[in-house]
Amino acid sequence: MVLFLNQLINGLGTGAIYALIALGYTMVYGIVKLINFAHGDIMMVGSYTAVLLMVNVGVPFPIALMASMFVCVFFGVLIERVAYKPLRDAPRICSLITAIGVSYLLQNSAQLLFSANPKPFPPVFSVAPITFGGVSISFVTLVTVLVSVLLMVGLNLFVMKSRTGKAMRAVSEDMGAAKLMGINVNMTISTTFAIGCALAGIGAFLYCIAYPSVAPTMGAMPGLKAFIAAVLGGIGILPGAMLGGFIMGVAESLTKGFVSTQLSDAVVYGILIVVLLFKPSGLLGKAQREKV
Amino acid sequence: MMNRKLKSYILNLSAIAILFVIISSLIDSGAINKYYSGILIMIGINVIMTVSLNLTTGFLGELALGHAGFMSVGAFTAGIITKQLSASLGWDAAACLPISLLAGGILAAVMGFLIGVPALRLKGDYLAIITLGFGEILRVIIQNMQITGGASGISRIPRVNNFPITYFIMIAVIVIMFTLGRSRHGRAILSIRENAVAAESTGISVTRYKIFAFTFAAFFAGIAGGLYAHQIGRVSAATFDFNKSIEYLVMVVLGGMGSITGSIIAAAVLTLLPELLREFADYRMLLYSIMLILMMLFRPKGLMGTAEFSLTFVWDRLTGFYKRATKPRPLREHAVTMPDVPNYELAAGAPVLETKNLGIRFGGLQAAENVNLHVNDHEIVGLIGPNGAGKTTVFNMLTGVYLPTEGDIQLLGRSITGKKTYEIVAHGIARTFQNIRLFKSMTVLENIKVAFHTRMHYTPVSGIFRLPKYTREERGIDLRARELLRVFNMEESAETRADGLPYGQQRKLEICRALATNPKVLLLDEPAAGMNPIETRELMETIGIIRNRFNVAVLLIEHDMKLVMGICERIYVLNYGRIIAEGSPSDIRNNPEVIRAYLGHSDRDTKPVKEGEANGNA
Amino acid sequence: MAMLEVKDLHVYYGAIHALHGVSFTVDKGEIVTLIGANGAGKTSILHAISRLIPAKSGTITFDGHPLGALDAYKLVDMGLSQVPEGRRIFAQMTVLENLEMGAYTRRDKGELQSDLDMVFSHFPRLKERVKQLAGTLSGGEQQMLATGRALMSHPTLLMMDEPSMGLSPILVEEIFAIIRDINKEGTTILLVEQNAHMALSIANRAYVLETGNIVMEGEAGKLLNDDKVKSAYLGT
Repeated sequence: MVLFLNQLINGLGTGAIYALIALGYTMVYGIVKLINFAHGDIMMVGSYTAVLLMVNVGVPFPIALMASMFVCVFFGVLIERVAYKPLRDAPRICSLITAIGVSYLLQNSAQLLFSANPKPFPPVFSVAPITFGGVSISFVTLVTVLVSVLLMVGLNLFVMKSRTGKAMRAVSEDMGAAKLMGINVNMTISTTFAIGCALAGIGAFLYCIAYPSVAPTMGAMPGLKAFIAAVLGGIGILPGAMLGGFIMGVAESLTKGFVSTQLSDAVVYGILIVVLLFKPSGLLGKAQREKV
Repeated sequence: MMNRKLKSYILNLSAIAILFVIISSLIDSGAINKYYSGILIMIGINVIMTVSLNLTTGFLGELALGHAGFMSVGAFTAGIITKQLSASLGWDAAACLPISLLAGGILAAVMGFLIGVPALRLKGDYLAIITLGFGEILRVIIQNMQITGGASGISRIPRVNNFPITYFIMIAVIVIMFTLGRSRHGRAILSIRENAVAAESTGISVTRYKIFAFTFAAFFAGIAGGLYAHQIGRVSAATFDFNKSIEYLVMVVLGGMGSITGSIIAAAVLTLLPELLREFADYRMLLYSIMLILMMLFRPKGLMGTAEFSLTFVWDRLTGFYKRATKPRPLREHAVTMPDVPNYELAAGAPVLETKNLGIRFGGLQAAENVNLHVNDHEIVGLIGPNGAGKTTVFNMLTGVYLPTEGDIQLLGRSITGKKTYEIVAHGIARTFQNIRLFKSMTVLENIKVAFHTRMHYTPVSGIFRLPKYTREERGIDLRARELLRVFNMEESAETRADGLPYGQQRKLEICRALATNPKVLLLDEPAAGMNPIETRELMETIGIIRNRFNVAVLLIEHDMKLVMGICERIYVLNYGRIIAEGSPSDIRNNPEVIRAYLGHSDRDTKPVKEGEANGNA
Repeated sequence: MAMLEVKDLHVYYGAIHALHGVSFTVDKGEIVTLIGANGAGKTSILHAISRLIPAKSGTITFDGHPLGALDAYKLVDMGLSQVPEGRRIFAQMTVLENLEMGAYTRRDKGELQSDLDMVFSHFPRLKERVKQLAGTLSGGEQQMLATGRALMSHPTLLMMDEPSMGLSPILVEEIFAIIRDINKEGTTILLVEQNAHMALSIANRAYVLETGNIVMEGEAGKLLNDDKVKSAYLGT
């Protein structure tokens, strides 16, 4: 029981990070119907920014966090303009392949610049974990879950209530009609990418606090899992990404605790496959009908 | 003058043999050392992988991201079997190879089937993700099984592979891909890529062919894996990860999705290049990624697009034979099997097509209700109504695209409600679409040939090995297809790409293709849409010809009233999903409800219009 | 000077030549209607004016400004608004949010309420359904919403694409009466319609489109009784 609760709590912590990254995937997919394979690698870019600033330059962590977010946003918007925008009307397979290309580009550039050896991430907090009855909640997990939930709530409010947020929703539904409203669609899409990447930047930071090691390929696995989380919850649907993220984190953690560490990846993919087969549009998604 | 086909066979066989002899002797003499012969063998293996992935991603048009997983299954299976057979039964390792390779291929194919059946229900992005997921699952499972050696994999596999073995297997795979591509099964697969909805409506079971392509591709990936295992001598699951799948994807994309020649070239280049640029090994993946991006932005078709290299063509050009075109022997001299002509039995006076209280509800919306219509043999019947009345919905129900929630559809007296589209085509209904759905990058002739699919019988094996049944049936449909085109005055365009035709011709082609399935009922959905008056007049003539020559009944949806009133014998008027009128053109024209539905009104009554009478009605 | 002037407009969809040099004008305060059968190219004209699709050649001038290569989203600020074919309301957003989207370019939030009141005065039914998801509205209500949404930006020229589509005759009459009111309040209207009778009964002038060409033009009242229009629709 104690093990279960501990694993559950760990799972919520990882899940929160997956959820943050998943939000970026789902927002981008919702608006341009593109799976941004490079999203996890943007997270890696943010991590490197943070680590280099804190270790090599000695910058305090709040500033490193800001810088991390800024760099992620910069890369995200740049990539969108250069690699994705020209392909907006092309067949989907082309944008998928381009996204894969961008992902590899980021990974290999990082490898060349910083070597494949992992760099340690400096400790940020040194607060003792809270324990009761054998169950321990680390400060990091607590902060992670809190920050993530706050951000998610904030994002939801933003998308539902703000002028830009509504514009984003309008563009996701019908790009042409949105243009007729006077909405600058290109700017809206860039903003979406920016927000998604900013969240990835924060997610990166929290991830590094929990798993303090930065390597060029670090973004691949969490990116993939976050992506699966987004699909699981229903891609394009914000609450779906949050739900999916937490489910993924908990499933992974419980598998690691009760089954085996090696199989945790397989379990995670297995969940995805089962969901896609029975509800292709995801847990919270709606079925799409092709017009004949 | 030599038969073209024979010439092509001889040329290609000679080229293959000559190439083999050259390379083999270079290897035997030591001019090509072990290192380079190893590279040549890897090229062969990679060609097999790329060409098989091209079947799924290029020919079928579905992005599959777990191809390396099948290679893995093949590699492990083959490696384990060879080791077991040679260790426990004392067999000579080289003799085990055929068995191991075959077993590897078969097991990979089984995996392909098991994965394909659920996965291929999804499309596009989702399919890509799910194949990625399955590929990773395979990897994880293999890494955790005892029999596959766990995380460290298997080693000390007898390295019995060599250049001749790899070369000939590679050639076999290439040839099979070519012959499959040129058979009716290959056409079916291509048509799915071009337009899956149209493919289904021409009688092709899209699901079955997707699974077939996927499984077939997996089989060859398994064989490639087996070759790999016996080349390198050890395998571990980590080698066949997502990165490896991407490497093959890059080869397919670079060569051109849909071109076997392109895949061969790309595989060769991308195997050779990293070896030659060993010092730049660090930059290899970087270059790949940039290349992928640049290709998609500037040349998504890749090196070859969908074109193939033809040795015969080059030879003809070089030897000047090109100018003196070889006249093909009149086909009638050869044995020919014509496509089936179904025997449509119809009770006298009974309608060929009839709906009884047909209706459909989408969620809260009743899109059609109580639709009772019938079409008699040889009739031309019109289905008209304002925009949004539900006409295409009715067509979609008649062709199995939608499942009606109420009522029944009877074709030749038998119920077809609930049957799948491709089955309904076989039973005798063909249709065209509001937005033209041609197989754009296929030629006019090929578009027609796809439609003969349901009326043909030869198996994939027959197609691949060019058995007599294949030759006879292909000749048959070639004859029939050209006949059809002649009826429509389109024979000269036979070799033109479908998307190169002017709009009016494209419409005609769609109708021609529908007729190739030998239907009893032809459904035309707004055939005159987007046509100018001249084209419309031509269309009217065409429909007249169809009714007379082809023993079919025609049901057509149209907005162009000149057309409808000009050729329809009876007309149904649909509004808000219900039939509001039925009768002859003059009945309909004077029907006040119809006038109201179409022209609108501002008063409650509208006086009927008599022909030729000037009208001051408001 | 005409408010809207379209000269020699050619539009292609891929290889298909959809508009063959269409020319027409709309003067301030008018209701001008473009009628014609389905597939005649009416929607293509509106899409080209709104810059949703590019024109191959020809000029479009609005209020003296050439629309040339402008981005679509700039037109709303210029006073040009469209109620698109099929309504294209944002189904996942509420009625209120849809209307807010109509007023997207207007910065002063204070005016929003008076804009809403203006729309509700034309479409009282919308006021009752303010919080409802637009996708759950009936066809007629969606048409009202789409029209109201376009009015939120106080356009000087309102373009409407087949407002009668899929609506029952009674609703069509209601909508058209409201269109007349909107015009009386000062908005110029360019109306594209398949329902010739209704369109001709409220318009000042009309153009008849047939497969990408204007084949007739004149005063709406005269065309209403013209046999040629009737035969174009119902055949001879």
